[in-house]
Amino acid sequence: MKPVNFDYARPADVGAALALLADDTLAVKIMAGGQSLGPMLNMRLVQPDLLVDIAGIEELKQVTDRPDEIVFGACITHADIEDRRVPDVTRGALPSVANGIAYRAVRNRGTVGGSLTHADPSADWISILSAVGARVTLRGPAGNRTIAVEDYMLGALEADLRPGEMLVSVTVPKLGRSARWGYYKSCRKTGEFAHAIGAFLSDPERGVSRVVIGATESRPIVVTDAQHLIGDGRAERLDRVFDSHAAAEAIAAAGMADPIDRQTHVVALRRAIERAYSA
Amino acid sequence: MNTVTLKVNGKPASADIEARMHLADFLRDTQNLTGTHIGCEHGVCGACTILVDGVPTRSCITFAVACEQAEVTTVEGLDADEVATELRAAFSKEHGLQCGYCTPGMIVSARDVVLRMQEPTEHEIRVAMSGNLCRCTGYVGIVRAIQGVIAARRARGIAAIPGGDHRKALGPAGSGHATASANGTATRIRTSPAAPALAAATPAKAAAAPRQEADWKPQTTFTESFVVGHPVDEVWAFFDRIGEVASCLPGASLAGEPVDGHVEGQIRIKVGPISAEFQGVADVSRDEATRTGTINGSGKDKRSNSATRGLIGYAVKPGDKPGETRVDVSIGYTLTGVLAQFGRSGLVQDVAGRLIAAFVKNLEAKLSHQSGGGDAEAPPVITELDAGSLVSSVILGRIKRFFAALFGRR
Repeated sequence: MKPVNFDYARPADVGAALALLADDTLAVKIMAGGQSLGPMLNMRLVQPDLLVDIAGIEELKQVTDRPDEIVFGACITHADIEDRRVPDVTRGALPSVANGIAYRAVRNRGTVGGSLTHADPSADWISILSAVGARVTLRGPAGNRTIAVEDYMLGALEADLRPGEMLVSVTVPKLGRSARWGYYKSCRKTGEFAHAIGAFLSDPERGVSRVVIGATESRPIVVTDAQHLIGDGRAERLDRVFDSHAAAEAIAAAGMADPIDRQTHVVALRRAIERAYSA
Repeated sequence: MNTVTLKVNGKPASADIEARMHLADFLRDTQNLTGTHIGCEHGVCGACTILVDGVPTRSCITFAVACEQAEVTTVEGLDADEVATELRAAFSKEHGLQCGYCTPGMIVSARDVVLRMQEPTEHEIRVAMSGNLCRCTGYVGIVRAIQGVIAARRARGIAAIPGGDHRKALGPAGSGHATASANGTATRIRTSPAAPALAAATPAKAAAAPRQEADWKPQTTFTESFVVGHPVDEVWAFFDRIGEVASCLPGASLAGEPVDGHVEGQIRIKVGPISAEFQGVADVSRDEATRTGTINGSGKDKRSNSATRGLIGYAVKPGDKPGETRVDVSIGYTLTGVLAQFGRSGLVQDVAGRLIAAFVKNLEAKLSHQSGGGDAEAPPVITELDAGSLVSSVILGRIKRFFAALFGRR
């Protein structure tokens, strides 16, 4: 259980990291906290020629507070969000979900950017960040581009990274005062990858109503206008207006064929809605 | 080799190590600090949990070189620590250990729970400690020990500090202490002489022929169907040409033509950063009467030391429209070794679904090419399954239009 021998680089800034990525004669792998990559390296599932450690790059740990959104670097850890060292703008959604990721010892090193780029469909960040409408910014030889977080995952373990690109930051919108959110993941034991994830955001002030079905073994199913599933957000009890039939249909339409899988995911969404938090 | 210097239990500790050495090996092998135990070595069991910059960290999936100049505390460094002292007494009193293998990690994680959680319920303690496995005690004594220490401390008026009191910096624990090199470019450490080319590896001698074990049953089975716009006779005949069938499967190639229904070959699969190359053998059989066939194969990936056995059945029948053929495929497989430890069945299915989608496109292209009068060796259009095949609709649409234009088909 030892990785193959690799070269190691610790670039000082994003520009230097991109320069290292540009060498396409080598198998170059970026590492942040290494909590997904570490096990894969130890098991020799991944055998890079060069490991680029970006955890020391200051820009990737910066937080910028803007009037209607917050931007944080790719190397912000789960624990940074759980402990609110990064200010929460989501009425508790992100800290609460962070608290349930793996184990504390993993959360102290694992990063949001690393989790998104590893693109495991059962991971937490891809689902909750899709629910709150977050975006990711990627930087490469052609400059920056910003896309919706759900579009960043192409499929199981495949992120939308063009040659020489890396993820640099995540942008999370500030939720309205009456926004409600919910998140539920179905796991047989704590800390394991989820079998089904349901998440929603209802933010009537901003006119946002989103539903996410995650842990689908591929990219999450994101309903960007979910009024037909959870109403306009003004109902006192969202679980009373939740249409589980329509949710099952939306999941089937997205290609989930197995009826038991569908049912598990509908239940995860219903539980997310039953636990609606308004903070 | 390069010199890595950490601050271990308050003292500078350095060693010349390879970049691939994880923190637990650094402590055990170069500092003789064998109190840090290694269990699973992939971040699951928690035995190797130590403090890095004051917070619990898995030392088996944290490289020493990535923690240059960080502050590391092992169980040996907790002798005088107030909470750890109380926990040691409580673990003894409550039978919180038997063999002791998990105990160093347990003490580090338990200390974190005592420091961070004000009045946790038993359930909350169990959840917080669930990343540390113990095979002796059944956890009852461990949980009681932690409850006891928390109750005593709160009774003495010592409150918890949510988030702990150590960490102020952002980013992965252990990162950000090393100074960048003077010119602001990368600090790069070469540890390996030019890696021996993988290409030098000779094709592995095939695994044992699968035909002996008739009663073998696959662990996982799923089915897929697809329709091709060509007559049944053409498709059925095509499936008899094993070499051509293999060339439609992205990443697959044969070592030679089949002899007596027995064939050797390989398939390369790439999923995200993982790539595997299975070398193996297969027995192929066909039944003309029912137009069904089976491919019974097994293979090994030397890199990941994983093995697979698979049984693929296919049935070729007329499609709903004239001139169309429906192919039903059932895929059963058993995966063992490292890849099996990592792969969940749904992920395998996602990859298989993508492989088949690419196979169908290649098959269509090949059949069209042949019926259009081209030679049998038209190059397959998708040669490797990777991110590219996921952005499929756009690219495949283009390929389809290209062939349509070429052969006047719609």
